[in-house]
Amino acid sequence: MKLALALALTLLTVVGPSLAQDGPRTGGVFKAAMIGEPPSLDLHWTTAVITQQITWHVYESLFTYDKHYSPIPMLAESHAVADGGRRYTIKLRQGVKFHNGKEMTSADVVPSLKRWGKMATPGKAVFKAVEAVEAKGPYEVVIHLKEPSAALLDGLARPNNAAAIYPKEVIDAAGEQQVKEFIGTGPYRFVEHKPDRHIKLARFKDYVARQEAPDGFGGKRTAYLDEILFIPVPDVTVRLAGVETGEYHFAQQIKQDQYDRVKRMRDVEALVIKPSAWSTAVLNHKQGLMTDKRLRQAVQAALDMESIMAAGFGHKDFYRLDPGLMYPEQAQWHSKAAGELFNQKNKAKAQKLLKDAGYAGQPVRWITTKEYEWMYKNALVAKQQLEETGLKIDLQVVDWATLVQRRNKPELWDIFSTGFTFGPEPALITSVQCNWPGWWCHEEKERALEALAKETDPKKRRAHLERVQQHFYEDVGRIKFGDYFTLDVARKDVKNFPALPWTAFWNVWLGR
Amino acid sequence: MALIPVALVVATVAFVLIHMAPGDPGSVIAGPDATPEDVQKLSQQLGLDRPLLVQLFGWYGRLLQGDLGRSIFLRKPVVEAILDRVEPTVLLTLSATFIAILIGVPSGVISARFHNSATDQAFMTLALLGISIPNFLLGLLFVLFFGVWLSWFPVAGYSPLEYGVAQTLRSLVLPSFALGLVQSALIARIARSSMLDVLREQFITTGRSKGLGERAVVYKHAFRNALVPTVTVIGISFAVLISGAVVVETVFNIPGLGRLIVSAVLRRDYPVIQGVVLCIAGVYMLVNLLVDLSYLAIDPRVRYQ
Repeated sequence: MKLALALALTLLTVVGPSLAQDGPRTGGVFKAAMIGEPPSLDLHWTTAVITQQITWHVYESLFTYDKHYSPIPMLAESHAVADGGRRYTIKLRQGVKFHNGKEMTSADVVPSLKRWGKMATPGKAVFKAVEAVEAKGPYEVVIHLKEPSAALLDGLARPNNAAAIYPKEVIDAAGEQQVKEFIGTGPYRFVEHKPDRHIKLARFKDYVARQEAPDGFGGKRTAYLDEILFIPVPDVTVRLAGVETGEYHFAQQIKQDQYDRVKRMRDVEALVIKPSAWSTAVLNHKQGLMTDKRLRQAVQAALDMESIMAAGFGHKDFYRLDPGLMYPEQAQWHSKAAGELFNQKNKAKAQKLLKDAGYAGQPVRWITTKEYEWMYKNALVAKQQLEETGLKIDLQVVDWATLVQRRNKPELWDIFSTGFTFGPEPALITSVQCNWPGWWCHEEKERALEALAKETDPKKRRAHLERVQQHFYEDVGRIKFGDYFTLDVARKDVKNFPALPWTAFWNVWLGR
Repeated sequence: MALIPVALVVATVAFVLIHMAPGDPGSVIAGPDATPEDVQKLSQQLGLDRPLLVQLFGWYGRLLQGDLGRSIFLRKPVVEAILDRVEPTVLLTLSATFIAILIGVPSGVISARFHNSATDQAFMTLALLGISIPNFLLGLLFVLFFGVWLSWFPVAGYSPLEYGVAQTLRSLVLPSFALGLVQSALIARIARSSMLDVLREQFITTGRSKGLGERAVVYKHAFRNALVPTVTVIGISFAVLISGAVVVETVFNIPGLGRLIVSAVLRRDYPVIQGVVLCIAGVYMLVNLLVDLSYLAIDPRVRYQ
């Protein structure tokens, strides 16, 4: 047996097809190996990233982002602001077709926005400032605000839990429940969902693309592929092996420690997705030990982020120590304000703070999960560092479903592990919200955040954001460990795929 | 008839255990960035905030009408979700059992016939190795050797029968071996020891003394008598394979019952978990019944009143 294997191995030919670089090519069935199944295909319904990654090929919003992460029109033609920033008149593009053949008009846009404002987490945040949404003729929508908001267009442009435009009849049929039909205006239309097998999308032949050249996520979107199959492949080894053997064209979230191996593969390209998210420990400000600011500061003072991040992400190319709430890639927002409080590695200071707080060895309950291995590894190293200062950490390892349920109950924990994924608009990022688990509600931070949401002058907005970041470190809102990047892989015949934080396959073609 | 109380106990235990486990579908659906209020609202809409007893009796009521309820995530009846997944799991289990029998029974019998010889030692060492290797590890090794390095078989996935039997079989080769080899080791050991027991019986000595050839003694007289315990183990191992499919289906990305229950557990899709557990319990009971009935054919001394 062994002999046969060895023989077969030596006989293996390593000559592949030549990969000539050529222009865009139409056709082919694209197979993408995804980490799992989306919890829902209704984009208004969930903040799960995988729902966004799949369905935003099907649905579109009024706005999207250019390459600098500024909002630009998508289904909108243009917009005008009047009444001191309180009235937004959005002109819609004409002739845009839904996948059911119907033309998109304000009769679809108004109920879509209202549903999003009522159901989606970012929708609810944005709609706090909205007084009314009304149609003005078939191709115009007016949004009246209670007060000026700088975050409105960003809210309408963000892809996660997005303000997708559905046909009115789909919304009516759904009532309070999830939509039953998945119809949008995007370059690909929904064909079928066979759970644990695939979600199939096919080119929408009546797609009306924008005329501008592609720019970030906006501009002209082209469906070069005949079909896209999103295949749930939960095992990371199988995802990588599948791309290596040509079973799949693309696989997301490969383990970072495989990077050097992937780089040696002839037909596979390693894609470092940068920025992706930051790894964090969320502190409980509502109940328990961590309501004491000195204890929070002790945790912040003690940690050595380099070893925490190295343990979690394995390879130097996949993490970065940076204090910013926003990422260095977002030059207009990135700041190092209060950066001296990040990565202090100061055990003596931590011990003094613990003593001042009268800490007497009560266990700090930290919930984490192995379902995201880096969360567990980050927590494990942090636990060791904290215990060296005298804190007692009770690390509770549970599955992800348990973690996301328990974190909503403040009586059950002091710290939990999670990641905050990339978001372009600072007023809407989850990491600083007061109503999110951790309940970091801090009077001056709230004021700065509110000013950030209302202000429209970019310079002043930046100053407000820096104040938020200052409070983040001084009050120890959460503990940021560092930025991390993910590793996706694609076959080399996958062309024009941008390694950006949001996976998108329009404008991608299969070469040969 | 005795099956009904067993099914009821299984159903109740499954329901209570799952609901006692922490985690809830609401927070999984709402996603990581949702606020606690959003999650609570969603749970209300899903009817998950009702008292547990109300939910339990509601479920009993539907069960009596043959209704397993609706999946929270798949948005379809549980029965339909299960039927969708039966094909790959049944084929995988059958082919694994086939492999297990094909390898296990002959090697057990040969080992017994050449008891304490080098052949016996070799077979039993292999069997020990087979029992000791977990099937997921074997699966991953197969993926590496036959999928990635040799490219003989696909590394993962399942091709349904409707796309052609050859394709289906090709996609099942690696997972069937990963699943079946472990069981073949078990069957080999049982077949060997029951053969050895039988070979020490007096009627075998009698057979030999009246001049029967060794072949006739071993294959005709001894083998048939050794079949009863072997068939029992095959029956049990078929049932074990159905649940063992959970791991192998995950490794090979096969959309069967195993994957269904794993993803249902991870996202707390209660009706699906209950339905699949009940379904697997039903298969266990059915297989046990079939094994009991097969004794009739194998051993004429067995009579059921």
